Amino acid sequence: MSIIYILIPIAILFVLIAIGVFFWAVRSEQFSDLNKQGHSILFEDDKEQHNKSND
Amino acid sequence: MSNSCFHCLESVPKGFSATVTIDDTPQPMCCIGCQAVAQNIVEQGMTDYYKYRTVSAGKVDQLVPEQLAFIKSYDNEDIQDEFIATSNNISEVLLSVEGITCAACAWLIEKQLLSLNTVKRVDVNTSTNRAMIQWDKTATPLSEVITALAKIGYKAYPFQADTEAQQKQQTAKAYIRRLGVAGLMTMQVMMFAFAMYFGMFSGMDSNFEQYFRWISLVLASPVILYSALPFLTNAINGLKAKQLNMDLPVSLAIFGAYGASCYATVMQVGEVYFESICMFTFLLLLGKYLEFRARLKASEYTANLQKLLPLTARTLTDSGEELIIAAKKLKLNDVVLIKAGETIPADGELIKGKTTVDESMMTGEHQPVNKFIGHNVYAGCVNHDGVIEIKINKIGQNTLLNQIIRLQHNALTKRPKLVEITDKVAQGFVACLLVFASLTAIGWYQIDPEHAFWITISVLVATCPCALSLAIPTALTCAIASLTKKGILIKQAHVLETLSKLTLFAFDKTGTLTQGKFSLDEVDIIDSHYSKDDVMAIAAMLERFSEHPIATAFDGFTPAKHTLHNIEVHAGLGISAQDETFHYAIGKSGWFDSKKTNAQASLYINKRVVARFYFVDKVKHDAESLIKSLHAQQLTCHMLTGDASDAGNKVAKQLKLDSVQSGCSPKDKQTAVEAFSSQNEVVAMVGDGINDSPVFASAHLSIAMETGADISKNSADVVLLNSDLASIDHLLNIAKQTRRIIKQNLTLSLLYNGSILPLAALGLVAPWMAVIGMSASSIIVICNSLRLLKL
Repeated sequence: MSIIYILIPIAILFVLIAIGVFFWAVRSEQFSDLNKQGHSILFEDDKEQHNKSND
Repeated sequence: MSNSCFHCLESVPKGFSATVTIDDTPQPMCCIGCQAVAQNIVEQGMTDYYKYRTVSAGKVDQLVPEQLAFIKSYDNEDIQDEFIATSNNISEVLLSVEGITCAACAWLIEKQLLSLNTVKRVDVNTSTNRAMIQWDKTATPLSEVITALAKIGYKAYPFQADTEAQQKQQTAKAYIRRLGVAGLMTMQVMMFAFAMYFGMFSGMDSNFEQYFRWISLVLASPVILYSALPFLTNAINGLKAKQLNMDLPVSLAIFGAYGASCYATVMQVGEVYFESICMFTFLLLLGKYLEFRARLKASEYTANLQKLLPLTARTLTDSGEELIIAAKKLKLNDVVLIKAGETIPADGELIKGKTTVDESMMTGEHQPVNKFIGHNVYAGCVNHDGVIEIKINKIGQNTLLNQIIRLQHNALTKRPKLVEITDKVAQGFVACLLVFASLTAIGWYQIDPEHAFWITISVLVATCPCALSLAIPTALTCAIASLTKKGILIKQAHVLETLSKLTLFAFDKTGTLTQGKFSLDEVDIIDSHYSKDDVMAIAAMLERFSEHPIATAFDGFTPAKHTLHNIEVHAGLGISAQDETFHYAIGKSGWFDSKKTNAQASLYINKRVVARFYFVDKVKHDAESLIKSLHAQQLTCHMLTGDASDAGNKVAKQLKLDSVQSGCSPKDKQTAVEAFSSQNEVVAMVGDGINDSPVFASAHLSIAMETGADISKNSADVVLLNSDLASIDHLLNIAKQTRRIIKQNLTLSLLYNGSILPLAALGLVAPWMAVIGMSASSIIVICNSLRLLKL
């Protein structure tokens, strides 16, 4: 059971990384408009290039 | 093929046929504007927009040359200073974009702008309808960016956030960060707390228990020292102002229990409460954040408004040359040329030409005012029909417009405030809590000094006012959400509470109680050769070419189909035209005759009077029922109008108002409302014009109409999006319901706190019991508040 003395600090490290990522996301305005971010995955970004290369 | 436009979903007019091939299928379009936009979207490979949009696009008007010229004026360096920030060759601008309806719009805009190679970053916010753009200004002027947006059907103009709005954005972000930390950390602390709960029953190695306590201490510290810090600062600020507020018992519980738990961990004695206080902090922050966000949305909506004054002005040099300069560079005694339909950039004296000016944004009255040489015209008003030259005599802060705005700011600082119910409850609660906690401490010290400290701490935790402090914000959030759905925007937290205490309503007349536009009251046929239908048809035909506000009164009539030529608008007189046989004219009574009459307009055929028209500003259809229902609720109704004529009295009589004061200047309205409040009345002001904005700041509560001036909407506490007077009744209703729910919530939570208090004082409450009790009472309160959403 003494492995727990090492595993828990590692888990805490992950939590700290998660908080870091969260702060970065807040700073880059990802939480200012929840509606838009939810839809963004639907759109294909490379369609434009695809069409242009066809021209 | 269906006959609604594929782009805007409006029906395609007969005789118009245009298609755009979208994903290999030709789709119908309703107008050239929509066709051009759809064509652009297809060419850019952005047809995904049509696939994923959830709301139809607005109908598109094509840009006219004047608008293009206006957009070009944004490239002027002097003007750009105000809204563009440049660093390292990258400029940043915030644009307000009209027509953003769903997430697909945001994608479309970002795609379109990023296809300009000089644009580095675009961020569209669909809830505020704003776009932040970073790009290289030297390679692409701002006007090109705005034109690119116009090509896909969005109208954009630079937005300048005021400091208040910026602060709110910062607060919102701070809330999210604190909430995130509290949420993530509480999960971890809870995990260890559960391990310890099980350990309590099945036995646990004391080394592990000590280790878990230390881990909990480490994980809980950011929650308490970062996320819960605002509660402590608020409580201290309250104490400095000699007030006991709700944050005081909250911080007492959080920081008291945290201190005791730290001590217990270090000294290896007593109990730890890390999980209780972490969860408490998280729940409380969540409640407060949701309430804040509901109001933020409302205030962002109204902040998104265009500027009152034009950015550019056309000055005339001594040699008579026209020069376009930034309006803020205008100096005293400059001569400015103003064309028909333009907004006046600064106060000045008319020195050439004659015109009528729409001063409705100042006075609330829509009747255009005639202006001749020597008259003063004011910044922000719209020049109607003549081309005029004015000599600037007041600029900047001294213009009438800015004086009104200053009046409003001054009033805001000394606005009357009612004591909020939360603070009242908090004061009683804090007093009781402190007395009870010290009694417990003293009592146990006599019996068992060793346990006295820990039992006192458990009293503090058990009575932690979690449900109590959620009682009000959750109810308010639900009420605001339910009102927003009905088109009533609430911008201030105190609104719902103030509403239930109102004793007096003051109304503006034009645009608030009345429709704010002319409608035809009576037609007097002078020449009996013409029937009423003939007269109306001819009048409607002529008025189609007029921009005069009276012209809208003829909108409902079918115009006659004569082929007209020589259509001419005569400033201050009316409009005239000719067909093969007759000369028609409609305009001011006394244009071609000299008979005295009260009629506001006359129709002339071959310069002989044919008919006279009388117009009135009709009372809104729901005004009467509103006043009746207000009277039934023992509220007195007054009217404060800027109109000096008899019209105010007539409307007041018709609606059975309690009193009228007509001919009020913005200052007069303020004095009247201040007089009411000094008689201990709680006043709500309902209005729409710029002239109402100072009085808005003096009243306890202010309600603005969507049709009103932007600045009045911005300063009001409540905006009625449908300009419907019945909404006020609805608002009062929901306020009453909210008050009832808040009272129930307070009773429920006090009941819980009251029943657990004796148990805790007897030392019977273990930490895990406190957590369950606290969460259960909070959930009950939240569920009770959710009932407001169904209203």
